[in-house]
Amino acid sequence: MPYDATDASPTAPAAAPGRPAPHTCYLDYAAATPMAPEALEAMLPYLSERFCNPSAPYALARAAKADFEDARARLAHVIGARPDNVTLTAGATEANNLAFAAVDGPVLTVATEHESTLRVAEAREHAFVPVSPEGLVDPAEVARALTPQTQLVSISLANGEIGCVQPIRRIAQVVRSERMRRLEAGQKCPLLLHTDASQAAGNVSVNVSTLGADLVTLSAAKVYGPKQVGLLWAADGVELRPLTLGGGQERGVRSGTENVAGVVAFARALELAEELRPQESRRLAMLRDGLQGRIMAAFPWAWVSGPRSGKSRLPGLMHVSFPGLEARRLVILLERVGVCVGTGSACAASKMRVSHVLRAVGVPDDVAAGSLRITLGRPTTAEDVDYAARAICDAVRQEAGRLGIDPATGRKDVI
Amino acid sequence: MGKRVYLGMSGGVDSSLSAALLLEQGYDVKAVYMRNWSRDLPGFKCTWAEDLADAERVCVTLGLDLEVWDCEREYKQTVVDYLVDSYAHGLTPNPDVMCNQTVKFGTFADRAFAEGADYVATGHYARAVADPADPAGATTRLMRAADEHKDQTYFLWRVPRDIFARTLFPVGGIASKAEVRAMCAERGLGVERKPDSDGICFVGEVGIRTFLLDTLERRAGDIVDWETGAVLGRHDGAFLFTVGQRKGLNLGGGPARYVVRTDVEKNIVYATANRDCPALWTSSMDLADVHLVAEDLPEGDYLVRTRHTGELRRAHVTLTPSAEHSQAPCAEASAASCQQAGLAARIDFAEPLRTVAPGQSAVIYDGLRCMGGGIIQRPCD
Repeated sequence: MPYDATDASPTAPAAAPGRPAPHTCYLDYAAATPMAPEALEAMLPYLSERFCNPSAPYALARAAKADFEDARARLAHVIGARPDNVTLTAGATEANNLAFAAVDGPVLTVATEHESTLRVAEAREHAFVPVSPEGLVDPAEVARALTPQTQLVSISLANGEIGCVQPIRRIAQVVRSERMRRLEAGQKCPLLLHTDASQAAGNVSVNVSTLGADLVTLSAAKVYGPKQVGLLWAADGVELRPLTLGGGQERGVRSGTENVAGVVAFARALELAEELRPQESRRLAMLRDGLQGRIMAAFPWAWVSGPRSGKSRLPGLMHVSFPGLEARRLVILLERVGVCVGTGSACAASKMRVSHVLRAVGVPDDVAAGSLRITLGRPTTAEDVDYAARAICDAVRQEAGRLGIDPATGRKDVI
Repeated sequence: MGKRVYLGMSGGVDSSLSAALLLEQGYDVKAVYMRNWSRDLPGFKCTWAEDLADAERVCVTLGLDLEVWDCEREYKQTVVDYLVDSYAHGLTPNPDVMCNQTVKFGTFADRAFAEGADYVATGHYARAVADPADPAGATTRLMRAADEHKDQTYFLWRVPRDIFARTLFPVGGIASKAEVRAMCAERGLGVERKPDSDGICFVGEVGIRTFLLDTLERRAGDIVDWETGAVLGRHDGAFLFTVGQRKGLNLGGGPARYVVRTDVEKNIVYATANRDCPALWTSSMDLADVHLVAEDLPEGDYLVRTRHTGELRRAHVTLTPSAEHSQAPCAEASAASCQQAGLAARIDFAEPLRTVAPGQSAVIYDGLRCMGGGIIQRPCD
């Protein structure tokens, strides 16, 4: 579909809200992914004929129980774990809450974490490990920030806003040597490493033995599975403590009738994401680099946040700031032509607050206000990226023009 | 460039169309979102962020800049505190009247004019019309809107008189809300299906009860029969009840009962089962804290409205100097409403009407023209 620039003009209400946009180009896959057709197909029978409660005693229910446990085994297999160590939850937020509930003492995390980690951390004694301007955690800083009382270190494998992939394996080594030191010193205080790998799955490896963490969170909603389905993997010997009491499902850790349909779909979705990961991550990185090249060539004054190195960066994510512009207006102009992009983490955007992630990495508030988070996904094509690049360039030029900002230099015209 | 107009935008249908119309009329428009209240209440999520997003969409469509002005402090002090204080004194105030006086045509207008605005504009259904007898345009009349069902002059009687000469009400001359919605749709503004937001904006759907209980303490007291003095039941705070109220007495069956009077000092709610109870009817009322929109208000016959879009009733209105009026009998009410009283008025209706809760506004009209209004006092018997 050719991009029609007139649609972006304020005088042409052709693509006004309520009327169909000329082309839909969804580029906010870090906020939500559409379900993979395979995962959708896998779950449907469990919403109708295979609806039974897995705890019931008759054959039909036992079949549902068996399918549920099969899905758990497949999820475990994808992440290189044993099924007994996987607890299924209603999404990543719950899994993160459950991970923190495993310990009582002080926690160590980073200021760029997702709200579901930050809010839980703030409810108890906590400290932050500093991050670099690229958003990366230096394992040596973790070693420095650990105290003999620290009981949990929680650092996301990948940040969903600026896309940095943390060196969890090396952080795990730091945690292990502190554990060893405590053992040698006869100190009984436990220490666990938790990583939320929700945004990383499908982009980088989430094999639990490679990561070296003690607790790993995953979400179905970010890997083309259903929302409100997730898991917490816990290493052998880590005792989880329930937050939801009731019928004692999930070995008593998470009561509530099992979401058989959701978990079956999660298993299929995660299998597929892992299977496609090598080629998809390469393909998305190429598309993203092309998009970034186009935007930066047009607006050399724009800022790209996150790591420079491709290895430490989510392949489909680009976080770009246009100083002096308002991202919320750009989003409206872009939606007019069917392009959906985020202004940062959707949770923070809805409250119209400056992103805590950008603050933590030192982006000034006025620059942060002009930030778009563009995330490509499995359905994204080269044509989509081409269309979006032109739409973004047009929207930025239009807004810059309105504000008297020279689109070539980013400077305010002096008359 | 045309004259500079600062438009208060809420994200609603009326202010959105106002923005489009002002641009079409060639004005140099600056859109401002006044953030007055952003706090969530139990069971109610404040919609300010969604409203701002709607306003922003309209502004982007029209190529307008939108600024957010933080008016929360003024709003809290002059509207919310007034509201709570009035209820605590057993009155039933109109917070929107205060908001127009102190925020929209106070803080907002002052700052707009200080920044060089020629006019301020809002999406109110009202008309500001130059006095035909004064070609210089120094005096401007406030007139009811073309759409009588939407007319909002009831909420504008306390606005400082001299502002109307520099105020534009772009939707005030449009015949109906349906037409306003159609005009929004024609222009692709995308807000034409938003519901009307009548009532106290920040209380929204939560209801005044939840709002008051967020600040004021419940206090158990008697519901007393107005005629016999018998105790009918218990209530949880006389300040939560309003004259004329029928629902919420929870007397457990029996005939429908109406609140006749509340006594917040003794914490008693008086109720009656007699719809024709004389105390539920009135043919005259005293106003304090009278404010004139017109230059003056000669004694005579006018039309008076005692609630938003309520019936316009014929009445004889007499201005009285406040000193003679707000004496001891109204001392209770004075804390909240009589304080800055400059003028008072006496209203004698041609026909009796249902008693109006003290604290409400009575607004006086001469034909279509809004002359001013005042705060209804507790009957002094």
